[in-house]
Amino acid sequence: MRQTTSSIALEVKPDSEALLLSLIARLDRPDAATQPAMTKTDLLARMPSLHFFSLTVFPRGVFDPLFVIEANFDGPAGPFWPQLEAALGPQLRPMIACCKRPADGCGPLYDAVTAPGSRRDLAPYLQTRAGKPSVYHHGNRGMSRQRVVNEAALFSAVEAELDAAGQVAQTWRILPPADIHARLREKLLPQFAWLAQPAPARKTLGEKLGDWVRLAVLVLAVLVVLTLPGQIAAGLVETDRLVIAFVLLTAIVWGSLLRIAGPLEGTATHGRTNLLNFAWRQIFKILIALAVFFAVAMLVVTPTTVAISHLSWREAVIPSARALGWGIAAMVVIVLPALVLWLRWLERRDSTQDAPTIDEAVMRLMREREDHTPINHMAAMIPLKPGILRTVLVHVGHRGLHLALRVFIKDGYLASMRTIHFAHWAFVNNGARMMFLSNYDLSWETYFDDFIEKAHEGLTLAFGSGEGFPPTRLLIQDGASHGTLFKAWARHSMTVSRYWLAAYTDITSDQIERNFRIAAGLRQPTLTPESAAQWIVDL
Amino acid sequence: MTDPAPDPSTEPVLRPGPRGLKALVGRLVLAGLPLVFAVSRAIRPILKLPALPFGQKKPPQFIITRYDDVREVFQTDTAFGVPYKAKLDVIMGGEPVFVGMADTPLYRGDLARLREIVRGDDLAALALQSSAQAEHIVAGASGQLEVVDALVRRVTFDVLGAYIGIPHPPGGNLPVWCTRLFEFVFMPSDAQLIADVDRMAPAMRAHIDSELARRRSGGIEGDDLVARALRKQASGEPGWTDAWIRTALMGLIVGGPPQPPMVLPQALEQLLRRAKPLRDAQTAAKRADDALLLRILFEAMRFDPIAPMIPRTAIADWTLAAGTDRARAIPAGSTVMAAIQSAMVDTRRIPDPGTFDLMRLPHEYFLFGHGLHQCFGEHINRAMFPALMRPLLARSNLRRAPGKAGHLAKQGFFPSALTVLFDTAGQDNKPG
Repeated sequence: MRQTTSSIALEVKPDSEALLLSLIARLDRPDAATQPAMTKTDLLARMPSLHFFSLTVFPRGVFDPLFVIEANFDGPAGPFWPQLEAALGPQLRPMIACCKRPADGCGPLYDAVTAPGSRRDLAPYLQTRAGKPSVYHHGNRGMSRQRVVNEAALFSAVEAELDAAGQVAQTWRILPPADIHARLREKLLPQFAWLAQPAPARKTLGEKLGDWVRLAVLVLAVLVVLTLPGQIAAGLVETDRLVIAFVLLTAIVWGSLLRIAGPLEGTATHGRTNLLNFAWRQIFKILIALAVFFAVAMLVVTPTTVAISHLSWREAVIPSARALGWGIAAMVVIVLPALVLWLRWLERRDSTQDAPTIDEAVMRLMREREDHTPINHMAAMIPLKPGILRTVLVHVGHRGLHLALRVFIKDGYLASMRTIHFAHWAFVNNGARMMFLSNYDLSWETYFDDFIEKAHEGLTLAFGSGEGFPPTRLLIQDGASHGTLFKAWARHSMTVSRYWLAAYTDITSDQIERNFRIAAGLRQPTLTPESAAQWIVDL
Repeated sequence: MTDPAPDPSTEPVLRPGPRGLKALVGRLVLAGLPLVFAVSRAIRPILKLPALPFGQKKPPQFIITRYDDVREVFQTDTAFGVPYKAKLDVIMGGEPVFVGMADTPLYRGDLARLREIVRGDDLAALALQSSAQAEHIVAGASGQLEVVDALVRRVTFDVLGAYIGIPHPPGGNLPVWCTRLFEFVFMPSDAQLIADVDRMAPAMRAHIDSELARRRSGGIEGDDLVARALRKQASGEPGWTDAWIRTALMGLIVGGPPQPPMVLPQALEQLLRRAKPLRDAQTAAKRADDALLLRILFEAMRFDPIAPMIPRTAIADWTLAAGTDRARAIPAGSTVMAAIQSAMVDTRRIPDPGTFDLMRLPHEYFLFGHGLHQCFGEHINRAMFPALMRPLLARSNLRRAPGKAGHLAKQGFFPSALTVLFDTAGQDNKPG
C-alpha cells in the first residue's frame, strides 16, 4: 500500500490570524451549542486512510502568518480530500476564509469555497493548493493504517496468550520455537482470519523500479550538467592547450580549496566526516558509477557527434570519447571542487545565530502538547539562505535526498534510528522558506539527541541551507554537531502544533516493524526450526 | 378515437419495452455508457450535447461526469433545480409537492410536516414486516423464484402500502398505477404513457380522497400514515388539509415503492456476477447481519444504480467547476444530466472504483441522489433493503436459473424479471 504525504500552506490574512487560531482551538474544545461534538475517534472513522494530520499556524515575521494543513494517509491524494471534507469540512471552510485569496488562477476557486453560505466542496481547492514535499520519509513504508492497527491487535493477543499460558503452566518455555509458532497460530487463527491470507506487498515492483529510475535520471542529469564544461572545452580547445588549462585550473581550485577548507576559529566540532573524505571512502563506487556513466553517455554523445559533424560512426567514436573523458575528468578534478570552493567561500561568510530567541509563551504551549503519548509532532519553518548556489544545492540536494531515502531505506532506519513515522520537508513562500513537519517517536529532546549523535551529517545536509544555522563546513561537517546550538536553533524554528490527529498514538515505529515480523511469521502455516528461532526473538 | 382502458386487474405493471432494432440500440447504449463516461471524464467532463436534429433551437443539454462536478450540481440547488414540477402538477392536479420544489419555506414546511408522521421509530417494524413477508414468499417458492415481481415488488407494495395506509383501489392495481405515474414523472414520456397517466392520476387522487373520507368517517383507527395525518387534521394543526394529505401521501407512494423493484434486482444481478460478494452476502444473510448486508447491497448498486444520470434544470446562469481548467458556463434553462453512475467510479475521488469494496464511505455513493432532493425514503430503504433480501440470500446454493430467465431482463428502464434457484433442503440455514 502506497502512502501519501501532503501539506497545504496558505497565507493568512494578518487581521484574521487570531480568528484562525480560535477556530483551530475549537476543534479540541467544540462549542456544544453551535457544533455537534465530534470526537477524534469519530473523525478517524470518517478518514479511514489517515495516519497523521496536523494544523499549524506559523506566526508572522518577515512574512504574513502561514496556515499549514498536513496530512499523511494511505493511497493517492484524490480520494483523501473528500474524506477530509466529510470529516472536517464545516470546520475547515471558515479557516480557509481566514487565508488570503490566491493571486494565481486559483482565485475563483477560493471565491467559490469561501463565499458566504458556499456549498462548493473544499476538496478541489485543497487538492489544487496541496504542495508536493521536497523530501518525505515514511518510517514504516507500505504499512496501511488498517494493517498497523490489525497487527498491533495481533501483538496484544499474542502477549495475552503467552501471559495466560505462562500463568497456567510453563509449557511454552520448554517448547521448541517452531512448536510455539504452530500453537500460537492455531490459537489465533480463529480470531485473526487474515492470518490465513497472503500478506499484501508493502512495496510493489513497480514502485521499486520507479524509485530507481527516478534516482538514475537525477544522477544522470546532474552528471551531464557537471561534465558539460569539460566537454565543451574539449570541443573548442586543442589537447595541448587543454592540458595546460586543466593543470592550471586544478592547481588554482585545489590550492584555494585546501587553503580555506579548514574550520574558522571556534567552529570546529568532533564531526570528522566531510565531503572530501566521504568521497574518498566511496572512491570505488564513484569510479564504477563514472565508468557506467561513460558507457551510457557514449551512447548519446557518439550519435550527437555524427549528427553535428561530417564524421562517420567509426570516426566519431574517438572524438566523442575524448570529449566525454575530458568532461568527466574536469568534473571530478575542477568543476566539483570549484563548486565546493564556492560553497566554502559562502560558508565562511554565513551569518549564524548564536543565541536564537525562543518565545517563552510559545515554548510553554509546545511543551504542553508534547509527550502525552509515545508519538509526538513537530513543525518548523526555516528561512533559506540566498544565492544561486545555495538555491540549486538545496533543491537538487533535497531531490537527491528524497530519492535516496526511497531507494536505500528499506527497513525504516535512518542511520541506526527508527523513530520517524511520517516526516517531510516542503518549500513554501515561493521557495523562500523551508518547512519541516515530523510525526516521531520519543520526546523531542531524545529524538534530536539521537539524530545529532548518529546522523549529524544528514541533519547538516538537510537543514544547513537554513538562515542562522550553526556554522557548517563543506556542506555536511560541523553544523548540527554543534548540538546545543543546533537544538536551540531548531526550537527557535519551531512553532506550536495547534491541532494534531493521530490514528495510533501508542505504537512506535519500531513496534510496528516488530508487529509486522510477528504477523509475517504467523501468516506462515509452518516455520523451519531456523526461521522459527529467528522469529521467536520478537516475542 | 382512443383505445378502451385495459382491464385493471390484468394490466401488466410494466409497459412493453421497445422491440427489435430500437431495443438493441437501447441495450447497446446502456452497455456502452460506462465507456462513454470514462472518455468524457478524461477529455470533456462537462459535455455539451449537440441539439438534435441539428440546427433546431433547443435549450442546451450537458452531461456532467466527474465526481466533483456532480456534487456541485446537486449541492447548488440555487442554480440547478429539479425538473419534475410540470409533470407533478399533472399527476397531483396542480397541488404542489416537495419533490418538485426549490428550497423555499413551503418546501421546508412540507418536509417538516411529513416528518411528523414518517418517523424513525417506524423503521424496525418496516424491516420486520419486509423480512417476514419475504420469508413467506421464498419459503413457498420451492427452490425457484422470480425476484423482480414475485418478491421485491410484492413485498414493497404490500409493506409500504400498509404503512402509508393506501389499499389497492377497487377495480385498480396499485403497483400498476404507481409504476406508471413514477415512469411519467421521472422518465421520458410517450403518447401511450400520457394517456395512461390521464386515466390513472385522477383515479389515484380520487381513490386517496375516498380513503381519507372513509377512514375519517370510521373514527380514525390504526397507526398508518393516513391515520396519523387525519389525527393531525382532527387536532386542528394548520396545514393538514385533505388536499395536502392526499398530495403528500401520493408523492410517497408514487415516488417510493416503484424503486426497490428496480434497484434490488439490479443489485442481485451484480452479486450473481461476482462469486465472493455473493458468498459474503449469503454469509451476512445467514447471520442476519443486516448492517453488513446493506453495505454489500449498496456496493452492488454502485455498479448499476437506479439510473445512470439524474436530471436537473439550470434555473440561473452558473459557471460549473469555477476556478478549474474545465470550468464551463451553464446558461439558465439548460438541462444538466448529473451522471451518478460515472461519478461513483471516478478514480479522481473513488479509490479502486472497479473493486467491490465494503469499506466505502457514505460520500462515495450517490445512490439516493445528493443535496436538497436526496431521496426522502432513504432511511426506509436502508431498513427494508437488507430485510427484504435476507430470506432469499440466506438460501443455500443460490444461483441463476438456466437460460435467459436467470439473467436480469428489462423493459425500457425497468427490470422486468430475474429468476433464481436455490436449494430447498438448505432452508435450515434461513435466519432465525
